[in-house]
Amino acid sequence: MMRKMKSGVLAHLEGLEAQMNRACKRSEKPWRVQARESALGTKIRELRRLRDKLKAEVKRRQQTTEKASLASTECDQTVETREQEALERKRESVKAILQAYRFTGLSGKLTSRGVCVCISTAFEGNLLDSYFVDLVIEKPLRIHHHSIPVFIPLEKIAAKYLQTDLQHFLFSLCEALNAYSGRKYQADRLQGEFAAFLTGPLQRNSLCNLLSFTYKVDQSSSFRARLLYEDLTVTLPTDVTVTPQGTEALSALREEQRAAHEALFRTEPLHKVFASFAREEELSVSVAS
Amino acid sequence: MLTGFTITDYSKKTEDLTTAEMTDEGVKKVLQRHRISGNCHIITFQLEFQIVETQSKENISSVITDLGIVMEPTEYSELSEFVSRAEERRDLFMFFRGLHFFVKWCEYRKRTFTHFKDKYPDVVHLPEGPYSHCMGIRGASCPEFELVIVWRIHVDMEGKVLPQLDLLPGVPRQALQLDRHGVVDTAPQGFRSLLGVLGIEGTLESLIGSMQ
Repeated sequence: MMRKMKSGVLAHLEGLEAQMNRACKRSEKPWRVQARESALGTKIRELRRLRDKLKAEVKRRQQTTEKASLASTECDQTVETREQEALERKRESVKAILQAYRFTGLSGKLTSRGVCVCISTAFEGNLLDSYFVDLVIEKPLRIHHHSIPVFIPLEKIAAKYLQTDLQHFLFSLCEALNAYSGRKYQADRLQGEFAAFLTGPLQRNSLCNLLSFTYKVDQSSSFRARLLYEDLTVTLPTDVTVTPQGTEALSALREEQRAAHEALFRTEPLHKVFASFAREEELSVSVAS
Repeated sequence: MLTGFTITDYSKKTEDLTTAEMTDEGVKKVLQRHRISGNCHIITFQLEFQIVETQSKENISSVITDLGIVMEPTEYSELSEFVSRAEERRDLFMFFRGLHFFVKWCEYRKRTFTHFKDKYPDVVHLPEGPYSHCMGIRGASCPEFELVIVWRIHVDMEGKVLPQLDLLPGVPRQALQLDRHGVVDTAPQGFRSLLGVLGIEGTLESLIGSMQ
């Protein structure tokens, strides 16, 4: 045991010496080995550089892909919003255009059975009443419901055109209703605004195509006027007669006045004629005073 | 569209005209500016109009205070007078009604003329093409004689559209000298009577027949 121990220590010391010798020897390597080592070292450094470069590239590509995928989701959303907005604008525009049709005087709305047509009327820029006709699209075409006044010849117009030419039916009705609205407007204005000129009540029928009244424009006696609108599609009378009230013969001046009035009633709307009478009166009053 | 009109664009602007006094009396006044573009067959129109809407406690009144109409094509001279009248009267609906019937008559005139041109290509000629307002009939045997049918579409004061057909005989001077019975002079009247009896197509057919 002692010998082993001694040899152990000795051996250890010898080993250390040997190690030192070996180390010394290594530091005195031949140039070939050194060269080889330096070459390997360079290669190692080169490989490390390449590895770092590749790592960086991978990282960069990963980042770009992430950004791109984020951007494309954003892009999709913007495109979708823009598409929705465009669709909304288009819908509003179509709705507006459908509304605009009523300015043509004839507009329609689809119903479960067919179509409901709205006819608008106007006279001299004044928008007046609207009427509707509810049509059922069947063979034969029929009118389900309507708001046309009973004295308008709806059945006659329907018998003539409804089955063969729907457009013609609608436009004929349009003509008749607009003319009636115009005549009614004139009669209403006479009864309202110019009632002062009337010496008796205005006699009118529901169709407003036969009017009879007595009126006075100055200090002399009154006239009786009879206006007949034989054509139901017109707003100016087809036949006018102005006759003097009273039994005395007409003076030349009065006859001139009578004839002038007759011509006026034939060519100008009723309320316009009375408006001109009112203006004349104003003028004569101002001249007198 | 149901009515034969197609509206392609519409815009509206609203302006409040209510004054303080109006508000006190419970009256509201609004100015609307409308612009409509569209077409009726081959005719395109662009309208700009203003409506003043006055709302009081008792009623609402809407009045068209201004109307401007632009139409294309502008060759239809009969239409331009009608358009000016509609603008003057601010009668929007009369404009559309008149336009509808005018276009209908134009199309009917074109169909009728084209029908006769196709049926008798050597005798009939349309100087202005299918939308021509006149049709010439020239017989092969006597090419110096020509009957010209003028078909105008007139729009009256109330916006009613009526066709006006006239016959213009084109006769060389020597033939006129030979015409002792004055047939050429009475031809236009005879034409109008014939229209009353045979209608437009029947009359044209018989005239073409007489020239062949």
